[in-house]
Amino acid sequence: MSEYAIELEQIKMVYQDAKKNERTVLDNIALCIRKGEFISLLGPSGCGKTTLLRIIADLQKPTAGRVRVAGLEAKQARLSHKYGMVFQTPALLEWRTVLENIQLPLEMQKVPKAERRRRALEQLEIVDLRGYENSYPRELSGGMQQRVGIARALVTEPEILLMDEPFSALDEFTKERLHGDLLRIWRNTGKTIVFVTHNISEAVFLSDRVCVLSANPARLDAVVDIQLPRPREDAVLKTEEYFKTVSYIRDIFEEKYYENI
Amino acid sequence: MKTYKKTLSAALWLICVLIIWELAAYILANVLHDPLAAKKLPGLASIAVSFAQHCKTLCAQAGITVSYAAAGFIIGSLIGIILAVIMSISGLCEKMILPYLLAAQMIPVLGLAPIIFGLFKNIAVSRIVISAYITFFPVSVNLLSGLKSAEENLTAMMRAYAAGKRQLYIKLLFPHAVPYLFTGLKISAPTAVTAAILVDTLSAKDGIGYVIIYTLYGGGTTGQFWPAIIIAALLGLFSFFIISAIEYICVPWKRQSEEVSA
Repeated sequence: MSEYAIELEQIKMVYQDAKKNERTVLDNIALCIRKGEFISLLGPSGCGKTTLLRIIADLQKPTAGRVRVAGLEAKQARLSHKYGMVFQTPALLEWRTVLENIQLPLEMQKVPKAERRRRALEQLEIVDLRGYENSYPRELSGGMQQRVGIARALVTEPEILLMDEPFSALDEFTKERLHGDLLRIWRNTGKTIVFVTHNISEAVFLSDRVCVLSANPARLDAVVDIQLPRPREDAVLKTEEYFKTVSYIRDIFEEKYYENI
Repeated sequence: MKTYKKTLSAALWLICVLIIWELAAYILANVLHDPLAAKKLPGLASIAVSFAQHCKTLCAQAGITVSYAAAGFIIGSLIGIILAVIMSISGLCEKMILPYLLAAQMIPVLGLAPIIFGLFKNIAVSRIVISAYITFFPVSVNLLSGLKSAEENLTAMMRAYAAGKRQLYIKLLFPHAVPYLFTGLKISAPTAVTAAILVDTLSAKDGIGYVIIYTLYGGGTTGQFWPAIIIAALLGLFSFFIISAIEYICVPWKRQSEEVSA
């Protein structure tokens, strides 16, 4: 077994528009993500970071390149539930109650009913939503809905958690609270987390490493090691080192920005 | 508060219509001295009396029409559902079927009914066929748009959790399309009843449409005409409310959200 949870080799993604013009969205991305690592894919909107995540998840096929997830081909990894995925919108089924939504991936795995329920309740506890098991998604706030999405991603106990800008639609207070929750879950489960975001501070606060992607086409400009101590509490947000790291990454983007002009 | 205002507005409308009706009937009979006033526009009281008199027979006739309409409606819905599923699974089938469905809808029922009757030589079958014919199109088109309108991120989510095509349909697309299906059913139900009534008038020997046409031209039992018209109108409403009630039971997640927002 490899020491890496995810290996990307020379990933290239080219789209063709209606006029047959080719547009390169991802250009030779190579990245190895270690097991148990919290890594962020950071970049401006339209830089292809979501596309990259979807390639890892086998929701899109790259034009060229090789993807291995948990030591398997991307498709095999998807079919054997090696990862759980959290989406930008909660992507809940509105006709299912909270508990039924969390059970969905287990139904695909043909887990018996009683065990499905038991495991879903367990996840409900972890995301702190006890008492809402029979509510419909519409009755919950945005933050609570996203927590249901996280519980659903965790319920199959995958090694890897893929998160596509999961908190970008939430207000600052809810977001900070969910950051804390997510770090706690990560610490307790030791999962590999790949976190897509366009928010520099979010990426710095959460991650072990931040991959800085530039747009048009997306290239991996830098991979920044975040040296902030763990476990990270909100107090970290006030430290000088945190500010320095955020500014350092901000500089990388600005440099790129002026280069392109 | 909202429902109270709704009820009040309906009641006010009803009262207005009744007053105007009564006024018009009075003017026709007593001011214009129309000898056929009692037949053209009878007073409310006389309608009420004949309604009470003939209620039992009229309801029995209405029951006959409704049972044919219901049979046609169920058959038509099933055909509509099957067509929609086939079209959603296969793009080729959609391209092959949909334009012809549309073309079929262009044939006026008024013209089609005699053809169908001539074809089957059986009024009972004709009523069912016409009701089914009226039903299947709205059901099919609405369900198809429901099956095709699931958000991309939901289908992506299903794939991320390793759902196959069958599971995608059973767990996402069908439940998502249920409200759309009911939209189609609610459009179809009253028109299926109207269609059955129309075929009644062709050459049936029973049904509420038969009562209407017979009393209109037959003369003998004039008193039944207006009550029959009222019952025919109520049948359409009744069918709509039945489907709405079933929808209320089958789509609890929409119901919940309405209660929250109200």
